[in-house]
Amino acid sequence: MIEFRHMQKAYGSSVILKDINTVVNEGDAIALIGPSGTGKSTLMRCLNFLDPPTGGQIFVDGVELTAPGCDINKMRQKMGMVFQSYNLFNHMTVIENIMYAPVKLLGLSRQEAYDRGIELLRQVGLAERALKYPSSLSGGQKQRVAIARTLAMDPEIILFDEPTSALDPTMVGEVEAVIEDLAQSGKTMMIVTHEMRLAKKVSNRVLYMDEGIIYEDGTTEQIFEHPVKDKTRRFVRRLKVLELDIQSRDYDFVGAASEIEQYCFKNRIPQRLCNGIQAVVEELCFTILRQELPEPNISVVAEYSEKHESAYITVRYPGDFRPGSTDDKIPLKLLDVFSSTQEYSYDEETGMSTVFIRILDK
Amino acid sequence: MRSKRSHNTAIRMISVLLALVFAFMPCLSFTYADDGAGSGDDTDVSIRDLEGKTIGVQTGSIFDKYIEESIPGAKVEYFSTFTDEVNALRAKKIDGLSTTETTLNQLMKQEGGITVAKEPLGEIGTCFLFPKNEKGKALVAQMDEFLTGLEKSGELARIHDAWNGEDESLKVLGADPDSLPATNGTLRFVTEGTFPPYDYFSDNKLVGYEVDLAVRFCEAYGYGIELIDMNFDALMPALQSGKCDFGASGIASTEERKEKVYFSVPDYHEKIQVAVLAESSSGEGFISSVVTSFNRTFVQENRYQLFLKGIVTTILITVCSVLLGTVIGFLVYLWCRRGGKIANRVTSFSVWLVQGMPVIVLLMILYYVILGSVSISGMWVSVIGFTLVFAASVYSMILSGVKAVDYGQTEASYALGFTDRETFFGIILPQAAQHFMPMYKAEIVSLIKATAVVGYIAVQDLTKMGDIVRSRTYEAFFPLIAVAVIYFIISAVLTAIVNRITVSVDPEKRSEAEILKGVKTVD
Repeated sequence: MIEFRHMQKAYGSSVILKDINTVVNEGDAIALIGPSGTGKSTLMRCLNFLDPPTGGQIFVDGVELTAPGCDINKMRQKMGMVFQSYNLFNHMTVIENIMYAPVKLLGLSRQEAYDRGIELLRQVGLAERALKYPSSLSGGQKQRVAIARTLAMDPEIILFDEPTSALDPTMVGEVEAVIEDLAQSGKTMMIVTHEMRLAKKVSNRVLYMDEGIIYEDGTTEQIFEHPVKDKTRRFVRRLKVLELDIQSRDYDFVGAASEIEQYCFKNRIPQRLCNGIQAVVEELCFTILRQELPEPNISVVAEYSEKHESAYITVRYPGDFRPGSTDDKIPLKLLDVFSSTQEYSYDEETGMSTVFIRILDK
Repeated sequence: MRSKRSHNTAIRMISVLLALVFAFMPCLSFTYADDGAGSGDDTDVSIRDLEGKTIGVQTGSIFDKYIEESIPGAKVEYFSTFTDEVNALRAKKIDGLSTTETTLNQLMKQEGGITVAKEPLGEIGTCFLFPKNEKGKALVAQMDEFLTGLEKSGELARIHDAWNGEDESLKVLGADPDSLPATNGTLRFVTEGTFPPYDYFSDNKLVGYEVDLAVRFCEAYGYGIELIDMNFDALMPALQSGKCDFGASGIASTEERKEKVYFSVPDYHEKIQVAVLAESSSGEGFISSVVTSFNRTFVQENRYQLFLKGIVTTILITVCSVLLGTVIGFLVYLWCRRGGKIANRVTSFSVWLVQGMPVIVLLMILYYVILGSVSISGMWVSVIGFTLVFAASVYSMILSGVKAVDYGQTEASYALGFTDRETFFGIILPQAAQHFMPMYKAEIVSLIKATAVVGYIAVQDLTKMGDIVRSRTYEAFFPLIAVAVIYFIISAVLTAIVNRITVSVDPEKRSEAEILKGVKTVD
């Protein structure tokens, strides 16, 4: 139904989407997931030309959208879009929002459009609000109206652009319920979301996006349960990563300590684990390695897994130096207290030492 | 419902205003002597008494030089009309005013409470003025010939006495200005008509000694004549630019002026005198003074007709400018929306140009420079000028109104499949209108007020008519307040009309029946 061939999108010199190739089939309910800034929304906006692609081709029902002279307005009628910020027409009542496009674009009579509009409003549970203006609705209600407005054009595919991100947590449920209903009715749809729960519930296919391409493509089960690629695994297991590079003796240790704190706060890492990460990094890197290594060139990667309630810290540095061989016994003692397991290895080929520490939330 | 409320507001505003006027009236001393017996004969004021005092002078006249020479230490204050000087003298804002003997006689005949200093400041000859071009050169020669002839025959003095005398029946023009044969073409004669007995309005027509001479001159030399009334400051530019063929307004020749225009021989030799306030005469009762003022301002000589004409002119300029300005501003916006960089640059430069200068300057430039050689009345130049001003505001208004509409609205409309045009007219404009309608209303009100400057380009609008009436009644307060009240009423009416339109385009003011037009709601 929809096919992307080597589609590219760049803003000036920064390339957001490098090379997108995929086919969307009828009945697909696709969740687009991936870290922010990887072009998930852009992919969707390229499809309906709100952001025209800068290279490659897109075909919808065999018609090439990217061909010059293609009637984009006509093609857009086949693709409904639901926005993060609803974008209901503020100068129209709820029912007019729904009737407007079918009357003007599909040539429906006002009566037909009204009847269909009311039916859709019943479907999303808002029939009694038909004559209200959007300004008097809550966020969740607005988004349900926006979905009804999109459905009124009877599109072949519905594009959801982070439909629940702008909502108050108490209203996420009502909108998700409507989207789930749609998914169960077999409607073709594409949804960009950060809510893994929503992605799992409504999709039958998942595209993991990273590095400007579709990094991994599979069924919902494959991607969430048995991801093939490392980055995908990290993302779906909700491994949250913090990286520090200590390049000199004058490294800003105070700044780094507060960076760890912020990282923990942002990712809602439990306080005990947070203390653990801080203590390990401090004792191992800031004290032992700083004293023992002539030229500090240390890279620290901290990962957190919500699922396993544990944090992993990987420290790499040049030279064969085992932390346990230091003379300063006090930091060593503290390091032992906070870490559950410690592994040391030395790679002779690269001349790098690696320390892997696991901290359990216990 | 909203429109009703706005009506009420307008009515309330006007009644508050009237109440204010009446509350303040007793404070404004009305001191009209019952008969106009002048008290200039038994004056005992000398110009030496005026040393160090403030003396009023009309802007553009040369009396200030004479004051400097004759009265040491006197401060000069400038006024744009003679009437303003008289009113300033009455209000004791100045201690004396300088003008010609004839004018003062006229004033004292009509008004009490004013007397003249014994010694004149000097003597001047008042002349006709002509543009410095071939035509002007020829005309000034004819005028010199004409005036010299009249003087020799003693006719000139007779005409002057007639206009300066008591007998109103002698104060008629030598010929009907509208029915001159005009075998040699029509001349445009410009003057400032607030200057009796030289140039003034009587029975709503421009008359006076110099007007009479001008008409007689044209009759004698086979010209038709068009009489034009203009603000005094604007006379020189009107002549220099050749907009008018000749002019006069009790103007004497000076070396500086001679560089810019040709002067005829003097049509009269005038003493320059200083008028001061006499011992104040007894005031009238409040009610009767209001009645007197009302009579003088509106009833005498059917002066209400002047006001009516002025109102029509003001409304005509305003309404034409609003309508044209709205259309042009909107079209320019559409052009810029579609157009590229060039359209936007040209437009923002024009808007900057139009909004960056005072309206009066814009009008004068249009009238004297850009349209200087085109035969077009000041009225239409005003419409062009104010259309430009209003179009610039409308453009800026729409621009900011559209910016205030979230871009998401545009995206949502595009995503549904609407074209750019359908999106703009169906989705964006109705919402932008809600943002700019209040601004639009305010702009109309300020436009009405801004039109008050059109007197500078020979348009007799409401303000100018008020000035003309004041020049005959020498009253400041009543005509001014009458003019203010009329402006308020015009603003209120226009605002009410715009309010109606605002309500009719406000989507949230629609009834359920309008929203569901053509739909049966029963399943």
